[in-house]
Amino acid sequence: MNKKGRHVVLVKNLKFVRSSIGVKYQKKAQSEVGNSTKAEQFINDLKKHTSKMNDVIFKKIPTSESVVTVIYSSSLVDKITMQLMIFIPLANHLNQIHQVAEVIKTTDVNGISSKLISGQTLLYFHQSNLLLSIDTYSAPTRSITNTETESTVIGPQDAFTESLETNISLVKRRIQNPMLKNEERTIGKETNTKISILYIDNIVNHENLERLRSRIDHIDYPAYFDISVLKQLIEDNPLSPFPQYYMTVRPDTVSYYLLDGRMVVFMDNSQDALVCPTSFLEMFISIEDYYNRWTTASLLRMLRFFGFFLTIMITPMYISALTFHPEILPYELLLNLQESRSKVPFPPLFEVLFIELIIEVLREAGSRMPAKVGQTIGIVGGIVIGTAAVEAGLISNILVVLVATSALLSFLPPIFLMSNTSRFVRYIFILSAGLFGLFGQMLAFAWLITHLLRLNSLGTPFMTPVIPRKASDLMDSIVRFPIANLKEKMGISRSQKK
Amino acid sequence: MSTNKRKLLNRYHVVFLVQSTMFGTGVLSLPQRLSSLGYSQALFPLLFGVIASLSIWPMIWINSKYKNENLFRINEILLGKWIGKSINLFIVLQFTLFLAAIISSYMNLIQTTALPEQTLTIPVLFFLLLLTYIVNGGIKSVARFCIMAFFITIPMLYFLRWAIEKGEMSHLFPLFNYNGHEFFEALRKGYLSILGYEVIMFYFPYIVNQKKAYKHALVGIWISIFLCFITTLVSVIYYSEWQLENIEFTVLHLFKAGEFSFIERIDIIGITLWIFLILSTSAGYLWSAKKGLDSLRSKKKKYHVYLITIVIFAVVVMPIPLESQKKLFEGSYYVGYLLLVWPIFLSVVHILRKKQVQQ
Repeated sequence: MNKKGRHVVLVKNLKFVRSSIGVKYQKKAQSEVGNSTKAEQFINDLKKHTSKMNDVIFKKIPTSESVVTVIYSSSLVDKITMQLMIFIPLANHLNQIHQVAEVIKTTDVNGISSKLISGQTLLYFHQSNLLLSIDTYSAPTRSITNTETESTVIGPQDAFTESLETNISLVKRRIQNPMLKNEERTIGKETNTKISILYIDNIVNHENLERLRSRIDHIDYPAYFDISVLKQLIEDNPLSPFPQYYMTVRPDTVSYYLLDGRMVVFMDNSQDALVCPTSFLEMFISIEDYYNRWTTASLLRMLRFFGFFLTIMITPMYISALTFHPEILPYELLLNLQESRSKVPFPPLFEVLFIELIIEVLREAGSRMPAKVGQTIGIVGGIVIGTAAVEAGLISNILVVLVATSALLSFLPPIFLMSNTSRFVRYIFILSAGLFGLFGQMLAFAWLITHLLRLNSLGTPFMTPVIPRKASDLMDSIVRFPIANLKEKMGISRSQKK
Repeated sequence: MSTNKRKLLNRYHVVFLVQSTMFGTGVLSLPQRLSSLGYSQALFPLLFGVIASLSIWPMIWINSKYKNENLFRINEILLGKWIGKSINLFIVLQFTLFLAAIISSYMNLIQTTALPEQTLTIPVLFFLLLLTYIVNGGIKSVARFCIMAFFITIPMLYFLRWAIEKGEMSHLFPLFNYNGHEFFEALRKGYLSILGYEVIMFYFPYIVNQKKAYKHALVGIWISIFLCFITTLVSVIYYSEWQLENIEFTVLHLFKAGEFSFIERIDIIGITLWIFLILSTSAGYLWSAKKGLDSLRSKKKKYHVYLITIVIFAVVVMPIPLESQKKLFEGSYYVGYLLLVWPIFLSVVHILRKKQVQQ
C-alpha cells in the first residue's frame, strides 16, 4: 500500500502536474509564438533592409532572459571588443548590458541603419521586443608616426593620423585647459563626415567664430573625402592661386595657433588640420622657429620670405636681361652668358620654358612613382638629361644652375600649398618677362602685390603686416625677437586676451 | 566698392594716399621745370610744401562741412543740379586727360630707355588692365597699394648716393640768386609736379578720423616734399646749370651715375620700379574719375571704370600729331590749378548760402 500507493499518488500527481505544466507550456509556447512571429518579422525586415550589406552579421543567442539577436557590422567592429562588450556580458551579467546600452524604437528604420553603419552593435530581445544599442566602433586606425611632409629637426615628431579622436587627443594632451572647446558637426549628405571645430573660449574672437560656423553650416556639398575639399568651399577667394588657410599635420603647430586665438577644424579620415584666420607672413613661419634660438630663427625666416620672391624673379631676370636689356649686365658676365648660350638655337624665353617644364615633369613624376623606381629615374632624369641637354646645346649651363636654385628655393615655405603656388606664379613672371622684359616683370610684381592685398582670410586682410595692427606684431614677423618678449597674441586673431 | 559710406581709411591710409598721389610722374622732371632758378632751386620744394599745406586747408574745411559727401555731391548741393553736374563732367574729363598725359609720358619714357624696339600699344593695354584691377578693389585697395608702393620704392633713394659722391657741394650756395621773373616762372611750372593732394576731396567721406584728417594729410604732404627736396638737392649738387635746363628727365640721369659691380645700368631698374609710383598716382585719379561718373549718372555701375579706361587708351594710342597731343596735355596740367582754387570758391558760396538761410 505504501510504495505503490505513493507511487500512484505521485504518478497521479505527476500526471496532473504534467497536464498543468502542459497547459502552462502551451500557453507560454503560444505567447512565445506570438512574440516570436513579431520578432521574426522585425528581424526579417531588418535583413531585407541590409540585404546587400554582406558585412552586417545577425547572431541569435539564447540568454537567461530571452533570445537575443546581435546585429553588427563586422568591418567596423573588432572581434575582441565584441567579446568583451557584448558576448561575455550577454552570457554572464545581463544587467550590465541593460545599464550601459541605449534604447531605440523598433520603428525607426533610418535611425537603426545609421547606427549600424557608424559601428554600433544592436541587441534585439525577442521576448520583450526591446532594441538596445551599444557603441563598439573599433575599426583599425594607423598609429601615430612621424610626419613626412612637415618634418623638423628638433621638437616633437608626432603627427596627426586619420582618426578624429586620435587627433583631438593629441591636441588635448598639449593644452590641458578647461576652456578648450570642441564643437562637432556632421557634414555631407552622401558621406556624413564628422568634423570638429576647436577653439579656446576665453581667447578666441567670437565674431570670427560665428563667421566660420555660419560658413560651414551654409555649404551644401554632397561628399567630403578630405579636409581640403571643405577648405576650398569656405575660402573667401576660391579663384586665387594662394592658399588662405593654414594646413598642418603637426599637433604642436595647432596648439600654438589655438593659444593665439585662432580656430582649428579637424575632419574624420583626414590627416590635415585647418587653421583660420591666417596671414601671408605665416605661410613662411615654421614651428621650428620657436625651438631654435632667435638669431637662427630670424635668419631662416628671412631666407624663406625673400626666397619666395627670389624664386619667382631669378629666371625671369635671366630672360629679360638676355632678350631686352643686355646692357644691364657687366661685360664679363655678359661674355660668360653668351659663351654658354653660344650653341643654343632658341631665344631665352623658350629655353627657360623648356627647362622649367622638364623640371616640373621630373618633380611630378618623382612624386607619383613607386619608391623603388623613383630614385633611379630622379637621378637619371636630373643628371643625365641636364648634362646631355647642355652638351647637345639645347640649354645653357648657367641656366641649369639658375633653374635648379630657383626650384630648390621654391621648396622653402613650410606649407606645401605655398610651394605649389610659387610654381604657378613663376610662369606668370616668365611669360611677362618674355613679353616686355623688366617692365613686364615689374608689371607682374605689381599685379602680385595687388592680388595679395585684395585677399581675405575669414574676413581679415591676408597681408596683415602692411599696417601692423599692433606694434608687437612686428616682433614676431620676419625677424623673431627672443621668446620672453613674445607674450602678446598676434593682431590678426583679434583675441579677447592681449 | 561699398554702397554705404563705411569708414575704411585709417590714418596711415590717408597719409600714404596723399603722399602717393603727389609723388609720381612730376618728380622725374622737377629739376628741369625749376631750372629757371638755376642752382638756387634746392630749397624750392620747401616753399611748395608751405603753399600745399595752406591750400589743402580749404579743401578739408569744405569737406568737413559736408561730412559724408565727396566733391561731386558738394558741387551739386551748392551750385544747383545742372551747373554742378556740368562742373563734375568737366572734372571727370580733366582727370581722364590728366591720366592719359601721365601714362603717355611714362610710356614714352619706358620706350626710350627700357624697351627700345617695342611699339607701345600692348604695354599700355596691360598697364591699364592692371590699373583697373587695382581700382576695382575700392579705395581701400588703392590705399594699401600706395603703402606697399612707398615701401617698395623707398630703397631707390640709395641710388642717389653716387650722384652726391660725384657732385660738387659748392653748387648749393649762394641760395637766393634769382629775380622775381624767374621766381614766378619756376613757381608756375614747378608746382605742377606736386599737384595731387586735391584728390582728398573725393575720398574724404571714407576717412575714419575726419577731425584729424588735416594733420594726417600734412604728414603725407611733407613726406612727398621731403623726397622732392632730396631730389632737387642732389640734382643741384650733381648737374651743371646748362644740364639742369636741357635734360628733360633729370632724375633718371641721376640714376645713371650709379655703379654696381654686378649691374651696369641701374637707371633701367629705376625706371621700371617707378611703375609703382605711376600706378599709385593713377589709381587715385582713376578712382576719383569713376566716382565722378557714378555721381553724374546717379548710379553705380561696374563698367564705368572700363569706360574711362577705354577713353584713356584711345587718347594715348590715337595717331594725333605729337604737337597737338602735347598741347592738349599741357592744357590739362594747367587746368589742375583750377581744381586747387575751386574749394576756396566753394567755401565762399557755402558761407553766403548759410547767411542766406539764416536770414
